[in-house]
Amino acid sequence: MTTDRKKFIVSHAPYWHNGSSISERSYNIMFAAIPAILMGLIQYGGPAMSVLSLSISTAMLWELLMNKIMKHPFSIGDGNSAVIGLLFGMMVPASLPWWVVITGTFVAVVIGKVIFGGIGANAFHPVLVSISVLTISWGNHFDFDSALVHYNFDFVTIYPLVALKYFGVSAISDYSVADLLMGKQIGGIGSTFGIGLIIGGIYLIIRRIIRWEISVSFLAGIILTAAIFNISNPEQYANPIFHLLTGYTLIGAFFLATEDSSSPVNTVAMIIYGLGGGILTVVIRNIGTYVDGVVFAILLMNLINPLLDKIRPKAIGKVA
Amino acid sequence: MTPKKELQVAFRLALVLFVVGVLSYAAFPVQQPEEPVRIMFHNPGGKVLFDHNMHTDASGYGISCMDCHHHPEDDESALRACGDCHSPTDDITVTSQTCLECHDEDEVDGSDAPKRANVFHNKCRTCHDDYGKGPSSSDDACKQCHIM
Repeated sequence: MTTDRKKFIVSHAPYWHNGSSISERSYNIMFAAIPAILMGLIQYGGPAMSVLSLSISTAMLWELLMNKIMKHPFSIGDGNSAVIGLLFGMMVPASLPWWVVITGTFVAVVIGKVIFGGIGANAFHPVLVSISVLTISWGNHFDFDSALVHYNFDFVTIYPLVALKYFGVSAISDYSVADLLMGKQIGGIGSTFGIGLIIGGIYLIIRRIIRWEISVSFLAGIILTAAIFNISNPEQYANPIFHLLTGYTLIGAFFLATEDSSSPVNTVAMIIYGLGGGILTVVIRNIGTYVDGVVFAILLMNLINPLLDKIRPKAIGKVA
Repeated sequence: MTPKKELQVAFRLALVLFVVGVLSYAAFPVQQPEEPVRIMFHNPGGKVLFDHNMHTDASGYGISCMDCHHHPEDDESALRACGDCHSPTDDITVTSQTCLECHDEDEVDGSDAPKRANVFHNKCRTCHDDYGKGPSSSDDACKQCHIM
């Protein structure tokens, strides 16, 4: 008891601010996303720039508009809405029409964040709320095979997870690990370049912007579950490496599951959260209806996040 | 950076990116190439992704245009897309309108252009069986092309 008390002894003022701020975190996340985005811009050209520019700017403008309507101080200076717009742009195909981008950032910022009470109060990752709502509403625009039919590449031009789900494990032999790592697969503008996303993720972990426990346990959950499926029936289920390098896995592990407000704060809870996300991702991919499971897996883990935060020691400052 | 400065940076970023986004959408629409690369056929049986490039390119199947596009017979540069004549439904009204671009009304008969699904099934199956490549007419033939 005495030892516990000592932990909470706070010294007198004046205090020295350590210099960290929300904006610093936001701009670091944006910086970490640059390699993956550059690959998207190289592959898809002008249309990718259109989507990214419009999604970042409209996400910020939606927040600005809501600040104005709600008579709150302008909050776009913290860069959080810019990050939301950026991640949305990274997850969608380059051919996404402008009105879907604007609707998407509206759902993310207004419904996914502002309605919940703004930054720090959102129960779900705003971008995942938006992607899930839009995928259900306008599936064709989020079907990468349909959306990218006009692009001619020198690699296999069928979404890897579609090939796996509908044409079986034999079809995935066309994808090499090197190709998948180098972004030679179709998908979202900034979610296919494996090496870029890993570098960005490591940068964020080193700068302590994200917690490694979540990313590592998420990836471990995917590897373990995919390995169990694969060992039980290698003719029906793909190997763990394929699951690791396709779909939204890497962007999910480093940029989505790690969002501050919708993820737990203590080590044990973070590991359960990450593992659960990874396990659900592969379960949805292997025996579910959807080709990718990352979006719904993380949303489901966001849902039980308040429960995980109750695991002792209870998270300080969280009201759930 | 002070909060005021951060806000100024954010205002500028939002404004610049919005202008860039609007201009980019106007300047860089997704270009539809003259000859299709891939075509997604949406249909009740499950969508089919047809790789047009793979069928025509020498590194793929390398088949001739005239193997599929048979109209007009004498001019390869003026070949029509399948959907111009073969209607997705039994209703041939659309077909007739397309035909009338070149033909007089008394020249055409809707029955000349059968329903799209029938011609595709016939053409795809026959050709793949003949060449012994790609999807084959086996028990699970549907699933080799159609995905839900």
